[in-house]
Amino acid sequence: MEFLLFQVPYLGNGMTIGIVAVVHVLISHGLAIGAMTMVVVSEYLGLRDQDPDWERFSRNLLLAVIITITGVGAVTGVGIWVTTSALSPRGIGSLLRVFFWPWFAEWLVFVTELVILLVYYFTWDHWIGAKKRRHVYLGAGYILMSLCSAALITGILGFMLTPDGWPWEQSLASAFFNPTFLPQFLLRLTIALTLGSLLALSYLLFTSREPRFRREASNLFGSICLVAVLLIPFLTWWYYAVVPSRYKTHIIYGILTSHLSQHPEVLFAAVAIILVAVLFCAGLAWGRKTSAARVLVIPALVLAVAFVFAFERTREFIRGPYLIPGYLYATNVLLPEKPLLDQRGLLPNAYWFNMLGRGDPENQGAFLLAQNCSACHTIDGLNDIRTRVKNRSEDGIFVYLSHINEMVPFMPPFSGTEAERRILARFLYRLAQDRIHLSAPSRYTPLTGEVSHE
Amino acid sequence: MNRLFDLLLAKPLPEAWLQGLLFFAFTLHLLFVLITLGTAILAVFFFVDFHWRGKSQELLLDRRILRTFMAHKSLAVVLGVAPLLLMQVAFATSFFTATNLLAPYWMFFIALLIVAFLSFDILGHGIAIHRRYHLAIALVALAALLLVPGILVAVLTTTENSGRWLAIANNGFRLTGPLAWHWLFRFLHILGASLIVGAAFHYFFTAKLDTGRAALLPWISAGVLLQVPLGLLLYTSLLVKPDPIIRAVMVVGVTGAALLLWVIFGAVRRGASLTLKSVIPLLMLVLVAMLLTRQLLQNKQLIPLEKAATANAWEYGQVLQPHVTKAVSAYGAGLPFSYNNAETIFLQSCAFCHGKNADGHGVEAKNLLIPAENLTAIRTTRTYLYRIILSGVSGTGMGYFTIYDRYQVDDLMAYLNEKYEVFARPGDIPYSIAPPALAQAEAAYAKTCAACHGPDGGGSPVSRGFQPPPPDLRVYSLVPTRAFQVITQGYPGTMMPGFGELAEEVRWGLVKTVYRKRTE
Repeated sequence: MEFLLFQVPYLGNGMTIGIVAVVHVLISHGLAIGAMTMVVVSEYLGLRDQDPDWERFSRNLLLAVIITITGVGAVTGVGIWVTTSALSPRGIGSLLRVFFWPWFAEWLVFVTELVILLVYYFTWDHWIGAKKRRHVYLGAGYILMSLCSAALITGILGFMLTPDGWPWEQSLASAFFNPTFLPQFLLRLTIALTLGSLLALSYLLFTSREPRFRREASNLFGSICLVAVLLIPFLTWWYYAVVPSRYKTHIIYGILTSHLSQHPEVLFAAVAIILVAVLFCAGLAWGRKTSAARVLVIPALVLAVAFVFAFERTREFIRGPYLIPGYLYATNVLLPEKPLLDQRGLLPNAYWFNMLGRGDPENQGAFLLAQNCSACHTIDGLNDIRTRVKNRSEDGIFVYLSHINEMVPFMPPFSGTEAERRILARFLYRLAQDRIHLSAPSRYTPLTGEVSHE
Repeated sequence: MNRLFDLLLAKPLPEAWLQGLLFFAFTLHLLFVLITLGTAILAVFFFVDFHWRGKSQELLLDRRILRTFMAHKSLAVVLGVAPLLLMQVAFATSFFTATNLLAPYWMFFIALLIVAFLSFDILGHGIAIHRRYHLAIALVALAALLLVPGILVAVLTTTENSGRWLAIANNGFRLTGPLAWHWLFRFLHILGASLIVGAAFHYFFTAKLDTGRAALLPWISAGVLLQVPLGLLLYTSLLVKPDPIIRAVMVVGVTGAALLLWVIFGAVRRGASLTLKSVIPLLMLVLVAMLLTRQLLQNKQLIPLEKAATANAWEYGQVLQPHVTKAVSAYGAGLPFSYNNAETIFLQSCAFCHGKNADGHGVEAKNLLIPAENLTAIRTTRTYLYRIILSGVSGTGMGYFTIYDRYQVDDLMAYLNEKYEVFARPGDIPYSIAPPALAQAEAAYAKTCAACHGPDGGGSPVSRGFQPPPPDLRVYSLVPTRAFQVITQGYPGTMMPGFGELAEEVRWGLVKTVYRKRTE
């Protein structure tokens, strides 16, 4: 199936999907699971100790959380889908087929989760006194549903890295309960609790003035954060252990990118700083040192967010050449389609190109670039293809195109004939020399490029 | 092949089920979408009504209405997940083509929703600000919110009109002509419906007092009346001819709407309130008829297209079949593969140019205008080699390899040194050079070579712009035989010419001269 291509200027397609996804992860983990757990726990403590401070804190936190979850969290969740359906239709379309029923179940879970959350919110002032206990149970029901939806999504995410036996048998069970499912689910849970407790802690330390309550609540959120953070290294190690070697081979580069790949110690320093800062902040909070914790809590939160960003980015990065391992390359080419395209060529069979494109080499080159490179590379933006081929000779670029996935294992292979490889090499060479300009870089098909011949 | 290899077109359940689920899920979704849109419009209207025209003060309608916004909008979003899933599964080809054709608008609706949702929820939850700021925020939020159905209607209009895809692409990825008119009337029809459904919802569920209901009633009746011309316009702008079944469904919808008007005006005449029992079933009947019409029209255009695409995919599957097993086992075999040792890195990243034996004769040698260097001949320093690996040699095929982290590059350099002694001294010259020949060589270097290589071997202003520039002879040499060869034959594809016309002894003298430039 062939679709038109749209390229997001500057950010590129991969990063656009990535940004929407990371915002969603931060809210779905940090708020929908993490902070909501703190809300329900606080409400329970308010009921158990008949403490109005806990009750008030819980109610206020809920308002901030629910506005963000329903306004940004739910929308960015759909947003991942919206961006992928525009930018990577074959990938998302195929994934929907593999996981049609989990996805459908996820819809039912989402709806239930939301209905519980809305009832929980709108009955807060009505289910009081004898009904309060029921209200807390409702909150617990919400947490349970949010864990179900996290589990359903983790199955799909894990599959995208470790599909296990699926490429051979196409069995849903082996696709869903794949090797990274459990460690990733638990890891996401601890991340959710870390973010949630840090959020609750910052909300507490910047809003509540009552010293006794501050110390008590700070102790609770600090201890939850401590436990969660201490589990993270163990779970990360478990998760890492089950990822196939091929994906781990460029892990340092994957995290640090070409800017820092020659300074691997930065990675270890960053991990140490994040761990120490978050642990230290959690420790202070646990020890009821509220003033000191208040200074550290925002930096700790920012560092935890940076960790999540790096975690998600790396997970997406290392699965490199594949959108769906064992089935589809990141170039939206099926694995068995590649030898076919090498024989028959991309250009003669490209419906949209032949309908809209002009047949000159510059247009052909731009189309081949769009097909083969634009999932990750941009022109003049992030991961700029021009800097990647800068100073290379045309023949050198041609040779690289033939071996790109051997040389760089996280890159998908070029699909197309030798003649097409030469067209793309020439295009890239001239592009790097600033001899080709595109007037509408977001649309490669049709290419509305203006080519300067000097 | 006993399965459709292109998963994109494999149906997870029978067509009828898929269509049934889609209808059910879409109806639920649209119900809440209409309430959400209606709520936003009414809330802004009553805010102005209250604060500027001083009306319906005692009702606090604007606040009452906005308070429920959070519930409607989040249900609308979450209920939208299933229709999105089912549309993508039932009509993959057309739907994805539409989202691609309209990609920037399609993706932008996410940002619009966030702006609208956050603004309305914050305004609806007791943020006290000056009424002018309140109104400004509310208007921005309303504009953002109302654009969203506009975008989605555009995507659906595109999805349903495969015959006009090329025209859309050729017209700057915009809807033009009859498509644009159809889009406009469909969009307005949605907004009209949102007034009726939104006002009816608040009439029955939030407006507690009779006066509040009286304020909402005109919105319901005006909404229904507005739908008459809009419906007619939409009907005339249809791009596909409705068959008798579709017409019958439309008649049911119109009859329902007429009955609704009759009930409303009857109640107004009697001075009575509307009753839930009489209005809601009629409203649901009209909604169902409207959405059924939509889906039947959509099916008429899309099902044949999808069938053709599926047939195509089966055929294509036959072509792919011979490659499937091989491709999947190659994938499996690659999984345990790791680039964690220098030999693998060398074989995967260097050997296709430099050769498995590092002698410069890789499989790609024939494609390179400037041959890859024979690595076994290189005698250089760690720093210099590291720089070449990290930055490449400009103007040649030698790229930069920051894709390997420092540990991997260190390993690779250690491997090259262990195997080929790249960090050793260049070694002894296998030729005895008499002093006059050496003097002649020194003079030749100063006169000719230094122009590019510089008097000290570190290059000259002239050669700095060369592609590739000459190597830095102070830190980089080749073993004597290879150096002699380059001096004699030149380096193909570069500015380095051969000096075969010089006497052999002088050329060996040049090798020695060049070695004398080494500073480390």
